[in-house]
Amino acid sequence: MKKRINIWIVSAALLLLLVAAMVLCSGVGVVRFDRQELLQSPIFWNLRLPRIILSVLVGAMLSVCGGVYQSVFRNPLTDPYVLGISSGASLGAAIAILLGWEAHLWGVGGMALFTALLTILLIFRVASMGNRMHTTTLLLTGVCLTFLISAVISLMMAMRQDKMESIIFWTMGSFASASWFDVWLLIPIAVIGLFVVIFYSKDLNLLLAGSETAQSLGVEVEKVRRRLLFITTLMVAFSVSTCGVIGFVGLVVPHCVRLVCGADNRRIIPYSIFIGALFLLLCDTLARTLIPPNELPVGSITSLVGAPMFIYLLYKSKRRI
Amino acid sequence: MIEVRNLTYSYGKKEILHNLSFQVETGTFHAILGANGCGKTTLLRCIAGLLTPQSGTVNIEGRPTASYNPRQLAQRIAMVQQHPQTDIEFSAFETVLMGRNPYQRRLQNESQEDWSIVEQCMKLTNTWHLRMALPSQMSGGELQRVMIARALAQQTPILLLDEPTSNLDIAHQFEIMELLQDINQREGKTILIVVHDLNLALHYCPDALLLHDRSLLFQGSTAEALSSERIATAFGVKARNIDGYLRIER
Repeated sequence: MKKRINIWIVSAALLLLLVAAMVLCSGVGVVRFDRQELLQSPIFWNLRLPRIILSVLVGAMLSVCGGVYQSVFRNPLTDPYVLGISSGASLGAAIAILLGWEAHLWGVGGMALFTALLTILLIFRVASMGNRMHTTTLLLTGVCLTFLISAVISLMMAMRQDKMESIIFWTMGSFASASWFDVWLLIPIAVIGLFVVIFYSKDLNLLLAGSETAQSLGVEVEKVRRRLLFITTLMVAFSVSTCGVIGFVGLVVPHCVRLVCGADNRRIIPYSIFIGALFLLLCDTLARTLIPPNELPVGSITSLVGAPMFIYLLYKSKRRI
Repeated sequence: MIEVRNLTYSYGKKEILHNLSFQVETGTFHAILGANGCGKTTLLRCIAGLLTPQSGTVNIEGRPTASYNPRQLAQRIAMVQQHPQTDIEFSAFETVLMGRNPYQRRLQNESQEDWSIVEQCMKLTNTWHLRMALPSQMSGGELQRVMIARALAQQTPILLLDEPTSNLDIAHQFEIMELLQDINQREGKTILIVVHDLNLALHYCPDALLLHDRSLLFQGSTAEALSSERIATAFGVKARNIDGYLRIER
């Protein structure tokens, strides 16, 4: 009983922190305003606000997906990036850019979504034996495809050097082109997806103890797995289709939460939502304000900030991952 | 009562169990005996509903296991696996609490009843003092007792154990077997246990199922199951029963 109340208190505190950070981050930027001007400026309403909301949504979704993959596959190295879903999406985006579809509202994003889903289907097809999933094969297939796809993208860039910069920017991830369209696209996916994952968070604990153990403790293992994998793939694919590949968030955020508060997914999942959102929001704010008027790729900021923090936590913590 | 009818199970083309039929009465303590690879673990997993046999059925309380959903089955059968997972970060208490899962709804808190059942099961298995310990901090015997506590927390009428003593020294083997004997006698739980050590089985398990060549060679009292002839057939070794102790030689 006591434990459960704590989850609500901590979640509420994290939510307050997140809202405060969103307000603060909306105030900083290359163009400076006082408060009156800010609320009337189209820069705030059409550029900054959707960008802030989008980074929060994507951060929350990527972190939770990483947490789910780590439990479902019982492997601490798993995240959307390692599984190859992110790079699958980047392939579609690169193709769309080469074909000159950037101007079209759905061009790059739609193509990214399509290839991401294609990639995950291919990986699952290779790794499934009967109705079970072989984790090592799954990870190796994901890693192989990531290499293959990055090779293909390099070839594309070498052939069409005029498009190089926009492809690079996409493969490194950026919220620079965030729009209200992206926000309205992601909100329903995020709400449904995050709710589904929270609903199954106790099952995730049992899956972590081994799929046979989970089954003998009353979990419908294959059904739960399939649902979780479907909803998380959808979340990753939609995220990547709006902002490109952003690594490190999905891997590191759930681990950081785990190192601090233990292995219980009923805490890891909700906390990861807020911490992931906060983390990506701050990283993106840094990306757009560090060297004005230029933009930095947000993926490099997440690694630059996240990696040392993660190593520090690993070093300090007595718990293994 | 567990009722196995015409059970056949094969992995791919390799048949492991062939047309097995037997009944296990409620409240009995059975050892499942047999040479390596004769299908003891497979039989246990079929009974637990973890494997679906190609033909035949396992009936629990008069209904085939396939007709229960995993939750209902987990309220009737608890299983202790051969190799407990050591690489997870749940404390012993959290691990045992998982045994209450079949009785909980999703998003629901643990009830006061869950907590007290967990405490009771951990005290019974002498693991209460380890409640904050992680699997990596426990010895093999301690971890095995925690796994038994989790199975007890499921409060099932049937308890299945797959070689729970295989990695333990002799004193801890006795300890586990005495614990099971106690549970069987006091609570009337039906226990099926896969054992390799024939003397351990002879000493603690009143009844036995002896498997040989994909089928059941004998069901009855353990002393009868472990006669010289049956041991010769099932294991290919010579054995003599001297004052209730088996002397085994090649």
